[in-house]
This record gives sequence, C-alpha cells and structure tokens, in this order.
Amino acid sequence: MEVIYGLLPGMLLLGVVGVAVFVWAVRSGQYDDMDGAGSRMLMDDDDELPQQEKSKNKKDD
Amino acid sequence: MMSGSCYHCGLDLRPKPTFIAVIGDVEKEFCCLGCQCVCQAIHDAGLASFYRKTPEAQRLTRPSTDFESDNVSFYDLAEVQADCVTQLNGLSYIDLLVESIHCAACVWLIEKSLNKIVGIESAEANLTTKRIKVVWQPQQLKLSTIFSQLLKVGYQAIPFDSDIAEQQEVKSHRSLLYRMAFAGFAMMNMLWVSVALYSGADQGEFKNWFYWISFIIATPTLLYSGYPFLKQAIKGLSQSQLTMDLPIAIGATVTYGYSSYILMSTNSQGHIYFDTVVNFLFVILLGRYIEAAARRKALLETHHLMTLQPKLANVFNDGQSRATSIKRVKIGDQVLVMPGDRVPVDGKIIEGESAVDESMLTGESIPIIKAAGDSVIAGSINAEGALTVEVEQVLTQTALAKMMALMTQAQQNKAPIQALADKIVPWFVLITLSLAVITFLLWYQTDFEKALLAATSVLIITCPCALGLATPMSIAVATGVAAKAGIILKKGSALEQLSKVDSVMFDKTGTLTQGKLVMMDIRVSGTMNEERLLQITASIESYSEHPVAKAVVAAAREKKLPLEVVSNINVYPGRGISADIQQRHYLIGTAVYLKEQAIELGQKWLEISQKCEQQAISTIFIVEDNEVSGMMGFRDKLRLDAELTIGSLQKDGLDLTVLSGDRQGVVETIAETLGLLKYQAELLPAQKVKAIDDRQQQGATVAMVGDGINDAAALIQADVGIALASGTGIAVEGADIVLSQNKLAALLTAKQLADKTISVIKQNMAVSLTYNIIMVPLAMMALINPLVAAITMPSSSLLVIANASRIQACLKD
Repeated sequence: MEVIYGLLPGMLLLGVVGVAVFVWAVRSGQYDDMDGAGSRMLMDDDDELPQQEKSKNKKDD
Repeated sequence: MMSGSCYHCGLDLRPKPTFIAVIGDVEKEFCCLGCQCVCQAIHDAGLASFYRKTPEAQRLTRPSTDFESDNVSFYDLAEVQADCVTQLNGLSYIDLLVESIHCAACVWLIEKSLNKIVGIESAEANLTTKRIKVVWQPQQLKLSTIFSQLLKVGYQAIPFDSDIAEQQEVKSHRSLLYRMAFAGFAMMNMLWVSVALYSGADQGEFKNWFYWISFIIATPTLLYSGYPFLKQAIKGLSQSQLTMDLPIAIGATVTYGYSSYILMSTNSQGHIYFDTVVNFLFVILLGRYIEAAARRKALLETHHLMTLQPKLANVFNDGQSRATSIKRVKIGDQVLVMPGDRVPVDGKIIEGESAVDESMLTGESIPIIKAAGDSVIAGSINAEGALTVEVEQVLTQTALAKMMALMTQAQQNKAPIQALADKIVPWFVLITLSLAVITFLLWYQTDFEKALLAATSVLIITCPCALGLATPMSIAVATGVAAKAGIILKKGSALEQLSKVDSVMFDKTGTLTQGKLVMMDIRVSGTMNEERLLQITASIESYSEHPVAKAVVAAAREKKLPLEVVSNINVYPGRGISADIQQRHYLIGTAVYLKEQAIELGQKWLEISQKCEQQAISTIFIVEDNEVSGMMGFRDKLRLDAELTIGSLQKDGLDLTVLSGDRQGVVETIAETLGLLKYQAELLPAQKVKAIDDRQQQGATVAMVGDGINDAAALIQADVGIALASGTGIAVEGADIVLSQNKLAALLTAKQLADKTISVIKQNMAVSLTYNIIMVPLAMMALINPLVAAITMPSSSLLVIANASRIQACLKD
C-alpha cells in the first residue's frame, strides 16, 4: 500500500497539468463562443464542386 | 420546389412568389431580388449546402435589396482605417460586428466565403458576440473587398471597436471561468481521497497522508476559487450589509478552519471536511457562472443598436465631399447624405429635398418629406434625393444616442423580482447565522468539538446550493429551448412575468396586421381597362420606393404583367410621380397632388375616395393626358396567424385590448374581425403608456405586444414587453422578449414555455426547501456525519439540474 505515497502526488500533478491545459484553452479564446463551436464540427466543408453548372439567368418577372 | 416561402429568408410568399430563378438546376422562389442575388452568389461560390445547415425554425435576415450599389470603397481610406484597423508584423486586424449572424450556418458561410479570398490570413466568426475577427495582408487585399464579399453573401458588417467597459467585462468573465474550473479540478481529485477515507482509510495507517493531501487540495481552492466570496463578504461587512456571500464565506472558512484544527491537533478524534469545502465552492461557482453567461448575452444584445449609427460621414471641404470617420465630424460641418444612406448626425438640411425614413425612431412607416430648413436625425434613412446637412449634434449627443441611453436605463430600473430577492437575502443570511450560533451555544456546554462541527454543518447545509441553482438553471434551459423556437428572452425574469400575465395589449400596425400595404380596389373610367391601368401604373411606380408603389408593383407581378419603357420621370416625394409612356403623359398620385397639378377630380371620384377613406383604404388616382382614367385603393392586411393567436389567448381567459395610433374606424374594423376585442384608437405613444399604466393600477399584470418605436415606451411600461422581429431596432431593444421569426403565433409558444418554466422553478424551490427542512434540524442535532453530507449535498443539486432539463420536453409535443 506504500505505493500511494507516490500515486497521490502523481494524481495531483496530473490535475495541475489539466488546469494548465484549461487555462491555455481559455487564453486562446476557445471559450469565447459557447454557441458556435458546438455546431462547427457538424458542418461539412466538402462541397466545392458546382462551378460548371453556373446558372446565368438573373431576373425573371 | 414550390414551398410557398422564400428560399433564402423564408418569408411567406403566399399567394404567389415574386421572383423565380433557376439556381443549381432547380427552380427556387424568392421574395426579392436581394435574396435571389445572395442565393446565386452563395451557390456560385460552391457553398450551397449552407441552406441545408440552417436550422429550420430560424429565418435568415433579408439582405438589403440595393446591395450592389452599397458603397464600401471608403473603407480603403487611410483615415477611416485609422480608427478600426490595427497593424502588426505587416498584417492588418479588424473586428466587425454583423448583426445578422444568428446560427451556426451563418458562421460557416462567413468563414468559408472569406477564407477563399486571396490575402486573407484568417477569418473567425463568433456566434455569441456576433463578431468577426479578420486578419489579412494589406498589400494583397483591400479592406473594401472584405466588406463587399460579406454583402454578396447577404451580411452587412460594420467595424467594431470595443470600449473599455467591454474589455473589463471579458476579463471578469474569464476570471470567473478560471475559478470555477479550478474548483472543478480540485473537486474531481478530492473525490478519490474522499472515497478512500469513507471506505475505511481514516482508521488505518495512511490516515494522516490522506488528510494532508486533502489539505493540499483544499487550501488553494479556498484561497483562489473562494476569493470572490471572501472579498465580497468582507466588503459587505465593512459597509454593514448582509450579503449572500457572507454565509458562503463563513461556511467555507469555518469548515476549512475546523478541518485544519483536526489535522494539526494530534489527539483529536474528529473528521475532516475539506471535501465539503471544495464541493461547495464548485457548485456555488457553477451557479454563478451560468447566471453570468446569461447576463452577458443580454448585455451583448444592446450593442446591436450601434449598427444604426453610421461610422462615416461625407464631409464637405472646399466644395468637395470626403468620407470622414464620424469621430472627426464637428458641429457646424456640412455633410452630404446620398440616397439610400443613413443620416450620420443630427442636423438641419441646407440643400436638397427628399423623403426620409425615420421609422427607426418614430415608428412612422411612411417616409416623411423634408426640405431645406427641416431637421434630420441620426440613424434615419435618406430614401430619395441627396441632402446637404449642417451638423448640429454628433455621437453621444444625438437623439439616437439619448434614446439608447434611455433604453439602457429603463432596462436597469425594471427588475421587481431581483429587488424582492435582494430584500429577502439579508433575512435569509441572518436566520442562517443565528441558527448556527444557537446550535454552537447549545452544544458548547457538552462538547466544544461537537459544537463547532454542528454549527458548521448548519451553515453548509442551509447554504443555498440547490436554492441558488434552482432559478438560474431552469432559466438557462428555458432560454436555450426558446432560442430554438425563435423566441429570444432578453431577461430571465421575463418568463416569470409572462406566466403571471392576465391582460395582453396589442399594437395594430405591423403586429396584428402585416404592416405593408396591399391593393384592395381598382376602378377605371372611359376606354381604360383594369389590366392596362395596372400595367401602366406599375411601370411608372417601379421608379419609386414608396409603400404604395411597392404594393402596385407587387400586384402587377402577381398578374405577370410585363413592365413598359418609361421616360421623363419626375418623382414628387410622398405625393406622386409623373412620367411618359408611348408619347402619353401620366400623373399618378393622391388627390392633394392632383389638385396641386390643377387637375379636377370631379364629384364621382371624390365620393368614392371619401368612402374609401372611411374604410381605412388609402387611394391614388391615375391621370392620362389630363384625363382621370382610374383609381386604386390600398389597405394593410391582417397577419395570417392573428386570428389563431387571438382566439387561443381568449380561450385561456386573458383580457385582450388593441391599442393603436390609427383612426377609430380602422381599429374598430380590426377589433371586430378578430372577435370583438376591446380597443382604444388614435393614441399617441404617451397615451399607450397611460393605458397600460391604468390597467396595472387596477391590479393587472400586462403584456404588451408591439413592433414600432411608438410602442417602445409602452413595451417598457408593460410588465412584459414583447416585440416582433420585423420591428424597428429600438422597439426590439425595449422588449423583454423578441419573437424572431416574425410570427405572432410564437406568442402562444412563449406563454406555454413560461408556464412550464415557472412550474419547474417552483418544484425546484420545493425540493431545496424540503431538503433544508429535513437537514437543518439534523445538523442542529449534530447528527450529520461526513458521509451523509457528502451524498445529500451534491444529490440535491443534481436533482434540481435534472428537473430543470425537463423543460426541454415542453416544446416537443
């Protein structure tokens, strides 16, 4: 059981690393937009094609 | 695909679409040329999947119709850029405010279309703040290109320079986030230690080791995460005020002090409560953070009025006009305002004549004719001719700025619920502290350690963990649900008020009606037939921006009549228009205008015109070569969902009244059609306020539904102000709730949501009260052991959070 003399400080160290990562994330602005970021990953960006079927009609009334 | 609504902005196009175009091989319907061009631009850029990404309930903002003529080249002037652009390492930085960003798809579209441009280093749009951060290479790309690209895809941007108050706000928001996160990390680590201690480690050889680790985790948490509470409590005490922070600070420090005492004294048998300190701080900070986030959102909304104030003015200097930053315009300068531009200053016209749209400030939907000598106000739109204006007031001194200041003030003053809460808090604190002291004194005679423990438990147990989360959590969930349904809650307390409402007042124009004219009647004389008359009138009126002109053109388009070539056009703003078609001369205008042109209407036409006036139909006459050949009548139509909404509210037993500035006869007709509503007609804005005040004096809780600026004061006076999003900026600003899809029926959804939310809040209050009633006596009897405290504390909070999330289910059925 003496292993916990090493494990607990190790756990704290990991915790501190977690805090440091979080502080970095806030500093770099990752928490500034709480609404947009959630949906950003769901937006595909793979539709760069329809150049050839450009339609020419402007107004039709 | 005939959907009955505009493919871009979702505007209802029934009975018939105005524009149809084939885009991407599919025929699509549009409400205006603006929407069509924007859709074309989006499609050409390969970003058509934008339309699949927009949430269905959300309506896109209609782009300005004349966006191609929008002059953005002045953004390239060095003196204009000096105010808003920062240079660093050969790159330029700018912050833009785009009011019409409202969903994740907007963010996607803006970022995609900007990042395609060569020379853009990065473009990031923020959905919460509605701002875009753009970094670009000034040698490769002009700033105006960025603006015109945004316009092409339908977004109007203005440069945004954040003020000091705003920067401080961001700083304090981040600091709260850090403190909460630190408490969160501490709590997670502490849990391991607690589990070990509760499962028997406090009896064995490692007891001290675990105790010391707890101490090491809890100390920085109390000092760092708990700092705001300690500071506020001391500040409150020095001003002899009992604040909510006081029991929090005492509870946390006493628990911490007691646990430290147990840890240091070698022969003590007590338990340590470091885990309680940490859990407690985390839950409280979480509540505070949710509250602050909601407040911040409401604060950001007020920035959007700034879009009304133009950032630039064309100042005359030695006979030439130069675009100048609004900050450098001085009183006494002469400013040129081109047609279609917003007036940048308050001032007096010295040259030119035009119709000016002041609907943002006055609610008057028809442009007002102004000539030399008349005053104009900042924020209004110059609709027709170029004007030269002598500057009388700028920036914070303009009527617009004063109106904005008034709005802010009114919003701050009106928070009855908050005031009540502030009154209750000192008593709550006093009772908690007294109970703790009593407990301590009772136990002190028998056992000091037990006395200290029991008193501390009382402080911790009564601490408003669940109570503190009950309201903000429910309101945060409700705000999210509402936003998905297109209802923007600008204040959390609005829901509470809305659920209590027993009396609803409606504005007429633009609220119960569509706020736009529709052709009702057409009459001809002589050889003229109706179709030909409409065709001629529409051809000529297509050169005017007047609401009547738009109604005529829309009517002709519905019948698919082709427009003819028109020459020799003269527009007389607000009165009429004259032009030639196929060598024939036409005059179109009101009876007054024809009289000015020395044309006799004759008895028959005058009678018809009078009859129409009585039915609230406005008329214009068409004169062909000095001969009256026809007449047209126009009227505002009821909204499609007006009857449904009114009927449903009546069924719920609410007291409904129409308050209108319009003529008696018009209001009476509308009130009768909708089911014999009460009404008051011919009211000035101040009288609307009075009418609401009278109802409130009789003990009613009043909701006001409106859209124009003439309703802004009434919206504030009412217990709940509800604005339709088609409304003017300032009216929306004065409202507590905004129905962003411009559908009146959303009012019903809002009411339903409010009722649900309040009942959930009440349940939550009951949960936390029950918890207190059971736990406080136990704590006073010193029966709370660490295990019980550790389980009940978070579980009462979790129960409250879980219950709040049930609000989401409310709109699914």
